[in-house]
Amino acid sequence: MMISMLKKATPTTLVLAILLTSATASWADVLVLTGATVHPVSSDAIENATVVVEDGKISAIGSDLQWSAEAEVIDLSGLHLYPGFVHPATQLGLSEISSVAGTVDTSEMGSINAAIRAEVAINHDSMLLPTTIAGGVLIAHVMPNGGLIQGTSAVVNLDGWSWEDMVIRSPVGMHLEFPTAAVDDDQNDDLQTIEKVLDLARHYQRATQAAAEEGTTAPPRNSQLEALVPLINGDQTLFLRANRYDVMEKALDWADEQGFDNVVLMANADVQYIAERLAEDDTPVILRNVYAMPTRRWEPYDMAYVAAAKLAEAGVRFAIADSGTGMDLANARNLPFHAGSAAAHGLEKSDALKTVTLWPAEILGVGDQLGSIEVGKRASLFAATGDALEPMTRIERVWIDGAEYDLSRDSGRSLYPRYQERNAEVQAR
Amino acid sequence: MLKQIMNTFLFGALVMSSGFSLAQWTPDVEAWNSPTPQQPEAVVFRNATVWTADDGGILENADVVIRDGKIDGIGSDLRTPSDAIEIDASDMHITPGIIDAHSHAAILGGVNESSRISTADVRIRDVIDPESINIYRQLAGGVTAINLLHGSANAIGGQMSVIKLRWGREPDQLVIDSAPPGIKFALGENPKQSNWSNDNPRYPRTRQGVNQIILEKFQKAADYQRSVEGMPSGRAARNVVPPRPNHELAAIAEILNGERGIHSHAYRSDEMLALMNLAEEFDVTIATFQHVLEGYKIAPRMAAHGVGGSTFIDWWAFKYEARDAIGFNPALMHQAGVLTGLHSDNPELARRMNLEAAKAVRYGQVDEHEALKMITLNPAAQLGIDDRTGSLAEGKDADVVVWNGHPLSVYSRVEQTWVDGRRYFDRAADQRMREQLAAERAELLALVLAEGEESDDDDSGDEQSESPAEEETTPGFRSFAAHLTSGAQQHTHLHGFAAHLIGYRSSELSHDDFCLFHFE
Repeated sequence: MMISMLKKATPTTLVLAILLTSATASWADVLVLTGATVHPVSSDAIENATVVVEDGKISAIGSDLQWSAEAEVIDLSGLHLYPGFVHPATQLGLSEISSVAGTVDTSEMGSINAAIRAEVAINHDSMLLPTTIAGGVLIAHVMPNGGLIQGTSAVVNLDGWSWEDMVIRSPVGMHLEFPTAAVDDDQNDDLQTIEKVLDLARHYQRATQAAAEEGTTAPPRNSQLEALVPLINGDQTLFLRANRYDVMEKALDWADEQGFDNVVLMANADVQYIAERLAEDDTPVILRNVYAMPTRRWEPYDMAYVAAAKLAEAGVRFAIADSGTGMDLANARNLPFHAGSAAAHGLEKSDALKTVTLWPAEILGVGDQLGSIEVGKRASLFAATGDALEPMTRIERVWIDGAEYDLSRDSGRSLYPRYQERNAEVQAR
Repeated sequence: MLKQIMNTFLFGALVMSSGFSLAQWTPDVEAWNSPTPQQPEAVVFRNATVWTADDGGILENADVVIRDGKIDGIGSDLRTPSDAIEIDASDMHITPGIIDAHSHAAILGGVNESSRISTADVRIRDVIDPESINIYRQLAGGVTAINLLHGSANAIGGQMSVIKLRWGREPDQLVIDSAPPGIKFALGENPKQSNWSNDNPRYPRTRQGVNQIILEKFQKAADYQRSVEGMPSGRAARNVVPPRPNHELAAIAEILNGERGIHSHAYRSDEMLALMNLAEEFDVTIATFQHVLEGYKIAPRMAAHGVGGSTFIDWWAFKYEARDAIGFNPALMHQAGVLTGLHSDNPELARRMNLEAAKAVRYGQVDEHEALKMITLNPAAQLGIDDRTGSLAEGKDADVVVWNGHPLSVYSRVEQTWVDGRRYFDRAADQRMREQLAAERAELLALVLAEGEESDDDDSGDEQSESPAEEETTPGFRSFAAHLTSGAQQHTHLHGFAAHLIGYRSSELSHDDFCLFHFE
């Protein structure tokens, strides 16, 4: 793996007084999580460890820390503390009930939607979000999905008072659906449309620059072309989507010809067939959906299950996602199980955990803030009864940026005790 | 990992010592080309953790003996025939085969006969696809029996068929004849056609109307039956015109006689209450509610009626009526005494039902063994086949799954799946199949390339042929696969899980379009 890691900076004994930052008014604002088995992800698990949170950030991790009685101390004995899962590719917040058109903002019409920003339609009070959070998925990369050039995506907290409040990083990158039919047809209409628009954006940028520097006539404003300028300047990541290995190869060749150095491939299990090339070029991958039928009827039954292991074996940087749409939107909470099943089929368990925490955070450019329990990172954490990739495990408490999340906002967790009581009453009559 | 691999090899080696032909059994990706696995006279699994899904509980270091396709004994120090095939199952877990009470995975198209509001006359038994690749894949996930149902387009759907996954046998040989007859019903958004436009609107358009039409059909069927039974016999019959046979009403009459169980697609509590009330007016007990997403809201009422609940553990919010579905539904129904099972309704999900059961532990802390019953004994009981399968008990069919770890763990995998004492899935055999397919592919590729060289000058105009230059620059497998896929039918009309699949028969990807309407 070529993923860079922050150096482990946690001496076992620290006097906390020196850790209190100037921004923290007093001990009363300090949160101390004690007694849990801490899974930093970036390093081995530490039993009976303490994590200290100040100003929403992790300020210390260790097994022999001291704190003042004024601090808020939460005993997590018997539980396991994990960093929040980072969903690498989803449309959460953009759709509520997929059969009710009025609640769906996932796919704009038309081929060129470069100026579309996914995050501006995120419903921060979507009923899907509390359920997702209750599954430990606390952060998501929310992406647009319409046309060929689809617009930009954002990494967001799944809790907030508005989408603006939720955004952690935006734009994360420009999304492009590579036309499947272009795989053996350089004259493909869709591909030519994409190329023409990119050329227009290059001209637009030169004309705009000339106007600024030399006083020539500025071109009329065009937000779609403007939105593409960071991409063609090499300042923005291209999220390239393709779902057949030959199309993936063609798409990567094409991106190379276009001069895009900063590419993330978003692909299904077929991506395993081009693993060597991806490792060689150090192209990161978002593997969409472990729980998939083999792409081809004649392929082994576990073809999609082993894709992650094949990528890891080849040394590809990757993250695991679900399909990010349709039924998977309401069940983004199952993201960790995709990773767990990949581990049942050859992926190392410790790597499996990384595919839904640290590695997506790094691929999405937020690896310095999220994805592991390390000093300086956001305190977006959850406490679980066991291995967080196991469906049998229960998630008991959640903190987002240091603030405890009210898990009863999850419809299941509020309806369960309510009907448990009601049904017992009825049956006692 | 290494241990798992070692165990896999060990299986092969041990079995080979006792029965050469069994050890060498290799399936083919085409069912018709796969030999039916033998049924050895006796098999013994040694030293496993055995989950009986029965009163026997979970037994450590236990043996399971199979004789002539039936379970002969479970425990330690059992007497075993000297010629029994010995399988070392140390560190392995053994469970009964998984039963999926809601499947469309092996139907030759036409899951939905969406024409009339009642299609009680159509029969799944006529359209079973015993060669569906889904069957093999589900065996690989430990499934041994499934309930093939029609879709949910009609208030009264067609007659279901409960089958064992005897992949590649004749259609009738898959059917479990002892299973009580059943019929699909559907309530809510699908029969009232809420989610798609229909050029010829059909009654009903409301939940009240769905209930009304079922009532009317019940009355008609009762009338029909009276007229059939009222026919005089013997000489007197000569002077009376008999009622015209009506296969639809005859099937509904079977419901009223208690001879055919209702398995009703339903989401909301109101519609389920209405159907229970209606059924009770006719002295009918509904066999199961399928999906039963709001079952938890009326669980005591369901228990009083005696209807089973066959549910998704966590699918929700895909339709408005699925808004209040919660993962705690199985736990709440179970607590209220409802016979509770988990189903797939999807050929991909059906491959990992053990993880659905694991989620019943997550949501509501259902005991692990009880959770396993939700995918084995309970669905078997709902389908009326629990006397034959669904748990590991003496005398039951040898439908057995060998796991390489805790059966509800995400890290576990199925090693072997036995149906009627025949090993229909085995990781080692599957590995041999891969090798055979690779060899065959290489052979065909050589032939294709050789032909390409011979016909260099022959511009046949075949649209599939690639130019020789391209052939040379493309590695063998890719070229061959590209050749195969370029002409493959793309099922672009299928949603979600099927969107990018290649080479499948469309029937293998068919599911209840109406149930899961509006995939992206």
